[in-house]
Amino acid sequence: MNKGLWIEGPIKKGILDFLNGLLADQKIKAVLMPAKNKGGDSYAWFLMEKNGMLDSADPAPPVMTTQGANVVSYLTKKGPVWEKTAVLLRPCEYRAVIELAKIKQVDLTNLVLISFDCPGAFPLEKYINGDPKKLDEIFDTCLEKQTELEGARNVCTICHRFSGTGADIEIGLIGGKGEGFWLVPGSRQGEELIEGVAGSKTDNLDVRENAISERTILQETKRNNMLDSFQETVMGPENLLNTLSSCINCHNCSRVCPICFCRECYFDSKALSSEADNILQRAQRKGGLRLPPDLLLFHLGRMTHMSLSCVSCGACEDACPADVPVSMLFALAGRNTQAVFEYEPGRSQDEAVPHTVFKFEELKDFETPYIKEYSKEQ
Amino acid sequence: MANNETDIKIVAFLCNWCTFTAADLAGTSRLKYAPNIRIVKVMCSSRIEPVFILKALLDGADGVLIGGCAPGDCHYSKGNFYARRKIALAKTLAESAGLDSDRIRLSWIPASEGPKFAHVVNEFTEHIKNLGYNPARREVYI
Repeated sequence: MNKGLWIEGPIKKGILDFLNGLLADQKIKAVLMPAKNKGGDSYAWFLMEKNGMLDSADPAPPVMTTQGANVVSYLTKKGPVWEKTAVLLRPCEYRAVIELAKIKQVDLTNLVLISFDCPGAFPLEKYINGDPKKLDEIFDTCLEKQTELEGARNVCTICHRFSGTGADIEIGLIGGKGEGFWLVPGSRQGEELIEGVAGSKTDNLDVRENAISERTILQETKRNNMLDSFQETVMGPENLLNTLSSCINCHNCSRVCPICFCRECYFDSKALSSEADNILQRAQRKGGLRLPPDLLLFHLGRMTHMSLSCVSCGACEDACPADVPVSMLFALAGRNTQAVFEYEPGRSQDEAVPHTVFKFEELKDFETPYIKEYSKEQ
Repeated sequence: MANNETDIKIVAFLCNWCTFTAADLAGTSRLKYAPNIRIVKVMCSSRIEPVFILKALLDGADGVLIGGCAPGDCHYSKGNFYARRKIALAKTLAESAGLDSDRIRLSWIPASEGPKFAHVVNEFTEHIKNLGYNPARREVYI
C-alpha cells in the first residue's frame, strides 16, 4: 500500500491546492469544509464544488463553531450523498462522525473523510470577542510548527488523540517541521485519491510516527493527571453541585453535542414534568426544591447517554453561557465509563458501541450474587 | 443512628418474568421480608435505563435493587446481558459523581426462588440501613 506523499510548501495553501486538484480531476464532486463568513468574523461550514470554492475556505480553522459531525449528520440524515464528497474534519470531529455512523446518524457512503494533526482550538467566546486576525496568525504558526497552542480550550490542552489517524486521508503535520505535509492514505479509497497527485513518495514515515507516539504518551499523562485532580474537585454530590451551580438549565450542551442525536430529548420531554401538586409534595419531602428541578439528573442522565461515545471535542463548553466546565466533566465521565468496557470512541468503525453488544461472561463486579452477607462487613 | 431507621425506602425494579414472579411466590408462600421495598415491575431488566436508577437515587431513595432472570435464562434470551452493561454504566457514573454506588444492587433471582428473593431483600435492606439515609433525601439544590 502507498505509504504517503510528501508535499512541500505552505500548509493551508497546499491542502487547498490538493483539494482543488481532486475537484478539477473530477475525482470528487464537492468538498465540505469550514470557511470564513462573509463578514469575516467567524467560521461556518460550506459545501463547495469546483467553481464554488470560497477564497476564505480554511481547512483548519482556529475555532470550532459547529461540530463537524453535526454537519455531516445533517447532510446524510436522509440518505447517502450521491457523489464523492470530501469532508475536512478535526480529529475529534472525525471520531464523532465514526460514532454517529455506528448509531446510523451518518451515512458514510461516498464520503471521503480527511483529517489533520490538530493543535487545538480557541474558545469560541475568546475568538469572537478578541482580535480574530491576531488569533488566526497565532493558530497558523502553531499549526505549521505543531507547537502547543497558547490559550486553547481546556479540553484541547489535554487532547490525547490529536492526529487524524484512521481517516481516509490523513494530513500529517507532526514531524514535518513546518516545511510541508504528508498525505497518508488510511483506506483503499484514500489511496486511489492520492494517486497521481504531485509530490514525492515516501516509504518511511518513522519521523512522524515516532513524534506522534512521543506526544501521545506525554498528552496521556497530562490528561490523566488533570482529570484526576479535576475529579477531586467534583467528587461527591456537594462538590458536583457546586461545580454545576451556575448552570441555567438551557440544555445548550446537549443541543450542540454531536453524540446527543435524539430528535426528542428525554430531558426536554413531558416524561419529567408533573403537576404542581406533585412538585409541591416533592418540595415538602425535601424541605424545599430548586426550580426547575433535576439539574443533576439532567447532567448525569446525559452522561449515561453520551459518555461512552464522548470524543472530548469541547463543543459543549463553547456553547455554555454560564462557564460551567462541562467539557472536563464529560471527559472525566467518559474516561471512567469507557474504561469499564475498554472502549474508545471513534477508534474503529467495527467496534460496536458498548450498550449494543455484550459478552456472556463479563462485568462480574457489578452484580451481587444471591448470598453476600452484608452484615459481616460491619 | 442508622440502625434504628425504619423508614428506609428502597426502589426495586423487577423483571416481570423472573424476579417479580419470585416476589409473587414469596408472597403466596407467606414469607416475611423487610417492608422497605417499593416494587416497580418492568417487562425486562434491560428496560431499566440508568436514568431511572439515578433519578431514584437523586430523588431520595436510599437504595435501588434491580432484579432480573439469571444470565442465560432471560425470557427474551439476552435482555439481562444488556441490563448488566447498563447497570455497570449507572454504577460507574454514580461513582464518578461521588454518589454511593453501593446503594445500587443488581441480583439475578429466578422465578422459582421465592425464599431467595426474601433473603436478598432482607440482606439489602440491612445493608442500606447500615449505610443510613441517602444524603440526597433532603438536598434542596439537586
